[in-house]
Amino acid sequence: MKRSYECGSAEHLFSRRQALGTLAGAAIGGFGLSSLMQEAVAAEMKKKGKQVLFIWLDGGMSQFESWDPKPDSEFGGPFRTIKTSVPGTHISELMPDTAKIMHKLAVVRSMSTKDPNHSTGVPRMQRGDPANRGVSYPYLGSAVTKLLGFPANGLPPYIWIKPGSAGFIYQEAGFLGSKYGALALGDGKPPIHINRPESVTDETDAARNELRRLANARFRMDRRDSEVDAYEQSYEMAVQLMKRKELFDNTRLPAKDIERYGTHPLGRHLLQARVLLEAGVQFVKVTSYHWDTHGDNFNMSQQMVPQIDRPFAAIVNDLEERGMLDNVVVVLMSEFGRTPTINSRLGRDHWPDAWSLALAGAGINRGALIGKTTKDGAWVDGEGYDVGDLFHTVFRALGINPNKKHYDNNGQPLPIVRDDCFAIDGALA
Amino acid sequence: MPNSPATQSAEPHSNEAQAPAFDPVKAHIGQAFKHERQLIRARFSPDGKFVAAAGLDKLIHVWELESGKKHTLPGHATWVSSLVFNPKGRQLFTADFHGTIHCWDFAAPDSKPLFTITGADANITRALAVALDGAHLFSGGDDCTVRVWSTKDGAKVKQWPGHKGCIFSIAVHPDGKSVASGDLFGTVKHWDFATGKCVRDLDAKELHTRKEDFIADVGGVRCIAFDAKGTFLVCGGLNNAESNAFCPGTPLALLYDWGTGKKTQEFKLANKSDGPINAVRFLQNGMIAGYGETQNGAQTELAFWQPDKSEPLHSLKAQSAYDLDIHPDGLRLLAPLFIPMGSGGNGARAQQKAKYLPNASVVQIFNLFADPKAKQPGNGKKKA
Repeated sequence: MKRSYECGSAEHLFSRRQALGTLAGAAIGGFGLSSLMQEAVAAEMKKKGKQVLFIWLDGGMSQFESWDPKPDSEFGGPFRTIKTSVPGTHISELMPDTAKIMHKLAVVRSMSTKDPNHSTGVPRMQRGDPANRGVSYPYLGSAVTKLLGFPANGLPPYIWIKPGSAGFIYQEAGFLGSKYGALALGDGKPPIHINRPESVTDETDAARNELRRLANARFRMDRRDSEVDAYEQSYEMAVQLMKRKELFDNTRLPAKDIERYGTHPLGRHLLQARVLLEAGVQFVKVTSYHWDTHGDNFNMSQQMVPQIDRPFAAIVNDLEERGMLDNVVVVLMSEFGRTPTINSRLGRDHWPDAWSLALAGAGINRGALIGKTTKDGAWVDGEGYDVGDLFHTVFRALGINPNKKHYDNNGQPLPIVRDDCFAIDGALA
Repeated sequence: MPNSPATQSAEPHSNEAQAPAFDPVKAHIGQAFKHERQLIRARFSPDGKFVAAAGLDKLIHVWELESGKKHTLPGHATWVSSLVFNPKGRQLFTADFHGTIHCWDFAAPDSKPLFTITGADANITRALAVALDGAHLFSGGDDCTVRVWSTKDGAKVKQWPGHKGCIFSIAVHPDGKSVASGDLFGTVKHWDFATGKCVRDLDAKELHTRKEDFIADVGGVRCIAFDAKGTFLVCGGLNNAESNAFCPGTPLALLYDWGTGKKTQEFKLANKSDGPINAVRFLQNGMIAGYGETQNGAQTELAFWQPDKSEPLHSLKAQSAYDLDIHPDGLRLLAPLFIPMGSGGNGARAQQKAKYLPNASVVQIFNLFADPKAKQPGNGKKKA
């Protein structure tokens, strides 16, 4: 069943981009713009350029083998701790490069969430664990796209670099409507058919595009249909990407960068993320799978943690070098951490009770170590933070006041975050 | 009779006239030593009077078999990864995840390390073995190099680089002239002790898996052993892993004719089990014992194979184990078994804080003979 997702009012038909253009023009002209409007324009301009790099280690990276090692406890692993660039703060020896950039990060060691399952935990975490309001909430990338608006550069606002298959993942948009979905690049490769066949001339291409638009317009005459919108949106994004094929030309990348990031999928995908962020893509999600180390956790962590350590440090450094770290919010997390107890396969199971994540970039307090766990690492010592608190933090870092901004679902105002959560203390600059 | 950790085999029972008849098919649970933390290595002392075990609590635990009296040897700064007795004398060598090896007088309750080798590996030392004459200790680990140390003082004698992946297992051939080492990628290297040259590679690649979507290599030659005559070599691990997360796969042990280097048998477990074969030992009649590991505290098995058959002749269901050793009398096996303490599985467990305990172990002895207490056929109650 096709579902209407906007109220169809004149306000909604008047696109945000149009509105911004009008407001900006009025501001430049200086005619008849109230102080309230000036503030609004200033606020919008300030938001312009904000981006997000969201790194998702699917399955759950062990906090013991990364951010919160407890080698002297009964639950600690065999690896050493090492000093970091923040005096007094130590992390696992499996993260030597990250240790050097700790002063650029805010590490939260007191995440305490509720869902111990992947199938429900992944969407719950990436949606900010919204209260049940009878609708499917958007994933963070779709939410940011809606809340910041489509960027003027015409590039896909939300790109998801992932192993495996590609496509337009409209499901992530939830009730916002499919056009806020994610454009997934399988293994970081460009969408298929990015190269127009040589036999299709500019004239032919223009003619067929016009035909497509007409067909779409006719089809949707009596509809406000999210899937048509999504199709239209993805097509326009594809057209823009066809003009930016250089974004996927890895031969342009310096060999030194390839070496610094690593040739494994996470290395390649984070380097691709840097390229896309440099080009102006608003939200880039990078996913790495198979962090669910129920078996052989320590041998696996020994091989896997360095695969995030090195390129993560590289991209934070590169964003800073390029002057982008003030504009890009960086989030590195999983759906939960891993158990203190070590199981019969020398693995660790799911542990939402006490785990860690890292933030960096725009609006984030650099060099902050937030929260702590008990001596044995099993529990949060003091106040724990839920993912709702993380969403408050990320939105505020992006300049979005989560207490004032609402989604509009067919006239029904819906909070963009859990209203019983708050920004993580000490995480914001 | 050679009794390096790889080849430790049966010596005649001290009182052979009264010794029970060796029969692995009648294997049953014997003496046990419980410990509140997970132990992953265990060995009988060469005189057969002691058991040493170690693991996640960084301590070496030594039990006297007859009295059950225990003493602990502190000294490691991290988990103990390997443990081996010197077949000559009172030395016990233990290695850890920081590449440190300690040498102990194992029978002395207040023993301090007799000597310590630091930097035995650039990272983790995973395997130890001692030459049959007791003169040399062999180590291997993450930096892919087999190193040979003097057992007198820990001085490095030789080193043999050449593996492409971390070394998980080492065994010394009974003739003392050859050493075998197995690595992550399923390569078993045959080293000539005198020249230090790699003579050949044996292919055990079934024990390594790296599928296209994996982000880590899974498996490796986790254990290795020669038979008493040095005619056969057996190694074990995990075949055809399905992911690098749970690392589930098919437990597998491989038998090789040492002379030709050809694989002559693939041993499988009888029951469902998804972890590697962590330990293998030859028994006095040429049979092979192997032990598996499995998920969620479920039972796996101690299997007994005949060299010419893939399926075990007999197996005992038991908790996961990470090591296996045979008593010098040839009539007892030893394994450190996983004991779940009710804290396993996925959280959240905030309501169970008070009961949240680390998992534990039992160092379990399996008697390879008929249980004298077992009811004999015909002695039981008749069915109504």
